[in-house]
Amino acid sequence: MNRRFFLSNGALSLVGTAMLPNFLVRAAMAGASNATSKGNRLVVVFQRGAVDGLNVVVPFREKNYYAMRPTLGIGAEKVLDLDGSFGLHPALAPFHELYAQGHLAVIHAAGSPNASRSHFDAQDYMENGTPGNSLQPDGWLNRALQVEGALTPTQESPFRAVAVGNQLPKTLVGAVPALAIEDLNSFSVGGPGAKASSASNAFENIYAASGDQILRKAGDETFDAIQRMRETNPGNYTPANGVEYPKSAFGHNMMQAAQLIKSNLGVETVFTDVQGWDTHFNQGGETGQLASRLTDFGASIAAFWRDLGDEAANVTLVTMSEFGRTARQNGTGGTDHGHGNVMFVLGGQVKGGRVYGKWPGLEHEQLYQQRDLAVTTDYRAVLGELLTKTMRSTDLEKVFPGAGLNRNQFLNLV
Amino acid sequence: MQRKILSGVLCCLIAVFPQSGWSVSGDRKPYQPPPKQLAGAQRIEFALERLTFGPRPGELQAVKEMGLDQWFEHQLHPEQLDESALNARLADFPSIANLSVADLMLRFPDQQRVRQAMNSKAPMPENVVERKVYEVQAAIIRDQEAAKSEEKKQTENASPAMGMLETPEPPPTANSPADIPNNGQAPLATQQFDKKEQKVDLRARYEAAILRVLGLQPEQRVKALLAMSPEDLSRMERAMRPQEKQALLAGLSPDQHEVLLALDNSHEVVVRELVGQRIIRDIDSNAQLNQVMVDFWLNHFNIFINKNPNMPYYLVGFERDVIRPRALGNFEDLLEATAHSPAMMLYLDNASSIGPHSEAAEAQKRQGKNSDAGLNENYARELMELHTVGVNGGYTQADVTEVARILTGWGVDRPGQGGDFRYFERRHEPGTKTVMGEKYKESGEDEGRALLHFLATRPATAQFISRKLAVRFVSDDPPQALVDRMAQSFLASNGDIKTVLRTMFHSPEFWSAENYRAKLKTPEEFVISAVRVSGLEPQNPQPLVNAIRNMGMPLYGAVPPTGYSWKSDAWLNTGDLVYRMNFALSLAQNRENGCTRNWSIVPDAWNGESPVSIVPAEEETRIEYALMNGGLNATTRNAILSQLHLPPPPNSTTGATAPDADAYSQVVKLPPNQVEAADEMLAGYILGSPEFQRR
Repeated sequence: MNRRFFLSNGALSLVGTAMLPNFLVRAAMAGASNATSKGNRLVVVFQRGAVDGLNVVVPFREKNYYAMRPTLGIGAEKVLDLDGSFGLHPALAPFHELYAQGHLAVIHAAGSPNASRSHFDAQDYMENGTPGNSLQPDGWLNRALQVEGALTPTQESPFRAVAVGNQLPKTLVGAVPALAIEDLNSFSVGGPGAKASSASNAFENIYAASGDQILRKAGDETFDAIQRMRETNPGNYTPANGVEYPKSAFGHNMMQAAQLIKSNLGVETVFTDVQGWDTHFNQGGETGQLASRLTDFGASIAAFWRDLGDEAANVTLVTMSEFGRTARQNGTGGTDHGHGNVMFVLGGQVKGGRVYGKWPGLEHEQLYQQRDLAVTTDYRAVLGELLTKTMRSTDLEKVFPGAGLNRNQFLNLV
Repeated sequence: MQRKILSGVLCCLIAVFPQSGWSVSGDRKPYQPPPKQLAGAQRIEFALERLTFGPRPGELQAVKEMGLDQWFEHQLHPEQLDESALNARLADFPSIANLSVADLMLRFPDQQRVRQAMNSKAPMPENVVERKVYEVQAAIIRDQEAAKSEEKKQTENASPAMGMLETPEPPPTANSPADIPNNGQAPLATQQFDKKEQKVDLRARYEAAILRVLGLQPEQRVKALLAMSPEDLSRMERAMRPQEKQALLAGLSPDQHEVLLALDNSHEVVVRELVGQRIIRDIDSNAQLNQVMVDFWLNHFNIFINKNPNMPYYLVGFERDVIRPRALGNFEDLLEATAHSPAMMLYLDNASSIGPHSEAAEAQKRQGKNSDAGLNENYARELMELHTVGVNGGYTQADVTEVARILTGWGVDRPGQGGDFRYFERRHEPGTKTVMGEKYKESGEDEGRALLHFLATRPATAQFISRKLAVRFVSDDPPQALVDRMAQSFLASNGDIKTVLRTMFHSPEFWSAENYRAKLKTPEEFVISAVRVSGLEPQNPQPLVNAIRNMGMPLYGAVPPTGYSWKSDAWLNTGDLVYRMNFALSLAQNRENGCTRNWSIVPDAWNGESPVSIVPAEEETRIEYALMNGGLNATTRNAILSQLHLPPPPNSTTGATAPDADAYSQVVKLPPNQVEAADEMLAGYILGSPEFQRR
């Protein structure tokens, strides 16, 4: 049973799709549709560990900011000014350029309405899209694809949702098949090459015959994806425009995100994450721990953007983190788990060059529980707008059940 | 007497099995789902799959002879089990078995420590050999720095991007021996070429020395290396090929082995030995349940190895002195020990938490310093959320802060030099604290002890730990009745881990047929179980370490304090599956360095060319029986057989491409190398099959 045979010989129409396993149908449909349709794509970057938004986009007019952060605060003269009130961390120079070009928007005091300061719970809530309800079994982005899929069933492809990394994040878990791929080039069984190895064919058949429903499904999806990936010749990728990505795990991930988007595999969403933001200790100010994380972060995303070239017109990237950090620095030159945070949205259709959101202020009485930046923009309003306007996922009640989102809450970012 | 009869019966069963239930041809019974409660041999198989890292060859019979209940009791008492074979293997890692954390740091310094010693800011060892490690590492650092400044000089003049991303190949330093060729003056246009050239030159320079040293007996080899100048030694090592580095280590005693590795990269020795001993114990320990529990607690009290450069050393002590001796002990004792471990105090930042009104903070204020001394609540939060009562354990943000106050002063004495836990009274926050309604009057370190006792004995803690154990051992979604029973045992026994496990083992929910092969193996469990069931004794654990890492579960590599998930959904994704299949093939085809097994029964003395008669289905049955105690699904088995691509049997009527299943029960004659290759593929397919991914 060879998929290529079916597809290349048009045998599908003779056999009819009813007899074929689902993945074959999907593959066939995708093959038919991808060449003609080229929709928008959404890239989600999760900063795991809770990034310190107040030092990423600095509210440099707030006196109390400097009072609460005597050694961590970044001076108004050091930040990269955005609008006379907020400034980027000096390590984010590439973002400053994208902001000036009007591609990058900043949303401050955004986050989850849930008060949890547990990394685990807060990430889970952010990713399942139902803060406070840990029983929600699937992720918001997967549900967004489900909703969209109901509108355009011919859009199916095994690459609709890809996580670059070795674990599938909660964000992408759900009924729409999603892939986790750490390295596109080594994504093969029995060795890379233009043809599937005999071992690869053997395992494909072994898994297809299995009575273990869950592993059979995982196997189907795996081999479907392997074959299509092989056809794109992933070993030969060269970034466009002479772009050089930082030699970091995140830089590598962003390069693979660009590679996926440009591959014409039917990719609609790419998820990747970046660690190292849990700066309880010795966080640093203008330079130091957080600064070096941000250097990598900004340079990787900017490289991705330039690598996309013309494709950038159809791509939107959004960043998020489980919660912000305490407004006051702690006793060990760092910050503890807080609440409100900053999000970035970058894209060809984004009305960038602006800081969005309602600023709650940093005076003592304005702080959430007297310690953290308050949340004035539900992160789901940001995501909901992007989904509605760029991804055709209009049924937001299905994507974010119980959130009661409506268009009035949108910030008009796009 | 009775045992002997039993084992005799078992042997008969094994002998008969292939013809009745297992052969692929004829009247084979269809796959039967297991009954409601597991019984007989399936019980033993299940117990081994769940309570160990998977069975070793012959282990089922051994447990059957001993009796399952008795085997379990033996497993609960690891100190009574014979570990001589394991200990012989662990003799490869003498230092991490014996040295204190401080001595490990001294003997195997990282770059930071070497730099300090170079600037006389840290002591150097007295011993000549240990001193040599510092001298060679210092020579490496000098070479690296010279290379960097040289590169900077060159790139300042050249186009900025040029050569920046090349791996720096250091040119000789100013104080290098004059006879080392100097390419530092080469024209910029040929810079990259010259880098290669330098490597060639280094090789040419040292080739004779390399060959001479490799020609020596082990004892003389070590002496010759130690007699070289630090510069020559470090550069010669750089000029060596990987196989030569291997050959350099051949035949050395474990101590000499360590010394030579340390001369090459001293920091790496500790990391490699730490992960190496873990793999060896997982595979070879007879106290399997204890080792599974070590794995469980290391994950529960997760510590990330790259938190800072000192962490690998502290992790050696954490595993060896804190977790391992208490893996089947008392929970409160274990919790106390982790809280008093320098590793945990550093990992969750408590070592740097200072009471805002403590003596230390007040003194800083008096001196007019811009004091940033204060609380760090990282450990306080995770102590409750992850180590004891769980996130729904009934605490608030205010409780977290109060716990942080109680634990101020719990720190580490000179962490840069491997110092131990120390309580610093000067950093302790004065005053009474209140946690979850309990008052803690000011009493220094005792406040923390009382708090730990309080947390360890909460019903929420009993529930949290029992559920986590049940998820590891029983099912992704264990029955509440079972968790409740385990939690009651936990409370009634004051947190005795053996008692909780005994309750689980003797509960009907544990033996429910629904649990049979219901858990997906984690990457660690998959890799280790494949090696164990194959009867392998890996000479080099590193390829297995890498395999587990590639599957997304690097040992000691979980960044967040939550550790890794024990549930299937975390490990069931495409990338993971690809790595699992590739590992299965690679292991079966003896491509994992240090793991070699002959899967075939072709005798070694077989005359190379003459064909061997085999029945493919019987080969499959033999290997399947060896690797999958409970057997494969018939569909999997047939799929595997149809993928062997053997030439059709002579009297087959179905043509060359697709012989039917019956064809595989007929004799075929093949050259021995084809038989061996077919057997390897069979083993690879079985280890990579859906069934083998479960336990």
